[in-house]
Amino acid sequence: MNGIKVVNRASRFAVDHFLVVPCGAAVALVWANWGAESYFWFASQLAFAVNHVGMAFFFAMIAQEVLEATMPGGALHTWRRATLPIVGAVGGTIGAIAAYEAFVLAGDERLLLAGWPIVCAIDGGLAYLFVQFLLGKGAARPFVALMAIVSNAIGLIVIGLHQQSAHLRLAGPLLIACGLVVSVALLRLRVRTIWVHIVIGGTMLWWGFWWSGLHPALALVPVVPFLPRSPRGLNLFADPPHGPHDSPRHLEHVLRMPVQIIMLLFALVNAGTVAHGIERGAWAVPVGALVGRPLGMLIAVSVSVALGLRLPHRLGWRELVVIACAASCSFTFGLFFATAVFPIGAVLTEAKVGALSTIAGALLTIAAAWMLGVGRFEGRAHDVPARTRESRA
Amino acid sequence: MKRIGAVLMLVASAWAAGAQDLTLPNRPASLKFAAIGDNGTGEAPEYDVGRQMVDYHGRFPFEMVIMLGDNLYGRQEPQDFVRKFEEPYRPLLEAGVRFYAALGNHDNPSQQRYPPFNMGGVRYYTYARRNVRFFVLDSDFLDAPQRAWIEGALQQSSDDWKICYFHHPLYSDGKTHGSQVDLRVVLEPLFVKYGVNVVFSGHDHVYERFKPQKGITYFVAGAGGQLRRGDVKRSEMTAAQFDQDCSFVLVEVSGDDLFFQAVSRTGATVDSGTVHRRPRS
Repeated sequence: MNGIKVVNRASRFAVDHFLVVPCGAAVALVWANWGAESYFWFASQLAFAVNHVGMAFFFAMIAQEVLEATMPGGALHTWRRATLPIVGAVGGTIGAIAAYEAFVLAGDERLLLAGWPIVCAIDGGLAYLFVQFLLGKGAARPFVALMAIVSNAIGLIVIGLHQQSAHLRLAGPLLIACGLVVSVALLRLRVRTIWVHIVIGGTMLWWGFWWSGLHPALALVPVVPFLPRSPRGLNLFADPPHGPHDSPRHLEHVLRMPVQIIMLLFALVNAGTVAHGIERGAWAVPVGALVGRPLGMLIAVSVSVALGLRLPHRLGWRELVVIACAASCSFTFGLFFATAVFPIGAVLTEAKVGALSTIAGALLTIAAAWMLGVGRFEGRAHDVPARTRESRA
Repeated sequence: MKRIGAVLMLVASAWAAGAQDLTLPNRPASLKFAAIGDNGTGEAPEYDVGRQMVDYHGRFPFEMVIMLGDNLYGRQEPQDFVRKFEEPYRPLLEAGVRFYAALGNHDNPSQQRYPPFNMGGVRYYTYARRNVRFFVLDSDFLDAPQRAWIEGALQQSSDDWKICYFHHPLYSDGKTHGSQVDLRVVLEPLFVKYGVNVVFSGHDHVYERFKPQKGITYFVAGAGGQLRRGDVKRSEMTAAQFDQDCSFVLVEVSGDDLFFQAVSRTGATVDSGTVHRRPRS
């Protein structure tokens, strides 16, 4: 019984601290390097089920969170509140893509040019965790969460539009239309059981996406607007356990544990790479994420502030630098985008290594916070010029 | 002193002639070809290997060269195609030797439209010579259409010999890159199922031959233009290795036998042998 309790507590800790994917990735890396044949056989058997079916539930949950954030009382409800993070996200994405493409072109590796959507990715969970750990509660958390949502949405749209399929059928668009009609009908009929929506409307949409050349991992997103929902506050990734989102009629409640298992499998299936010589593709992704994104985000926010937008209350430039660094970690979404952009092969391996290596963004974030003396490192503030401290207040 | 010098010269030239011996049967009706990988540097080693190939072509008139990817490194403007491909192999091109390229990770995908590479504007393709069918894959992106294509092409082929080549090796003892196991778990079952006999790859800048794996003989010939000296470690699968100089491979297919000879930049034979064709099950 003690063993089960320990496992339960460890699982709960991993879930609460966004450690499921990093733990799964660590296991995958060890497995791939100790028993490559068995690992890649396992990964090849599960890749489709996890990346194309399982991840549909993950993106449904993300879509639900975004939708609720746009409801009255939600973090994205007014454009005024969300403008600066959106500007930061767009600027960061442009910066990341520019740095990625420049790095690839500098090495004349045109094969990698198509990989630019990978650097749109921000691991929202990890970024949120870093910011919470370093800067505590306040405007920084929703700021980085909104940035992650917008950046990943840009990447998902690009990937969704560029997805190539060998399974194109005319029935695809028809099934999408039917799936939407069914979802509306279920809403009108006041069907409150989430699984009915997912199984009937979701299945039709999945096949519709698959046969239309769209990435089927996004198939449940159109179902989400027809599901029961309630407003989501600023603490986007950390709602209290007994709020409206804990109702059995809420998607988050229904999918919370299944999605955690899916994310574990996702990391297991996708994160394993054999430690080979590092090719240019493996460098290009971190260059885009760790260099281009923070620069792009800070430049975009600076220009916006110069044009009249105001920084959120109690959020200064030093905190913004820490947020920009935290957003450089693409990890989970980077892995997903890599598998969506590149098919199996050596280039995908390079891109995966690159996405995994952006975990270095954690060190960058801590180093930035330490050097700037913010949040947990506030004690170092005496090293910072007084004028900068005032501007933060 | 002069006499001693003359004797030494004679011994040296006799040794050089011996080093450049052809070990292949060189039969009149056989299919003869050469294999080079990772060659397109435009540097001296590539030119040296090219000269050896020309030299051997005089005695072993191979009609084609299979290119295992990384056909051009770095910039790939028209003048680079001249410096990194046309110049080093000009005598072969003028002699009518045809080159059939696979794409490597350093290759610009537009190479598929470069006529001397004979790719026909596609990333993966197949062609036959006598009783041998070649299957050229793009191991950079093994997407679903390519997987479906290779399975169909292998299934349809009734040729005696099936030879696949692509850039990333399914088996390699190279320390820098090693085996591409994710590709192996996808491709090898198809190769076994449809009776592929031999697979050539590059990527690791060494020469290596493996003991037959599930009935298939694998070659790594990725030292056609640059070398990673001492980069290969021995494993229980190793049949032969050479990582002390750049190299290329000469191949002759005659009936049920495939003869091979790996040659170094100086013309020395570093490996040779025969692969017997498996009887069809």
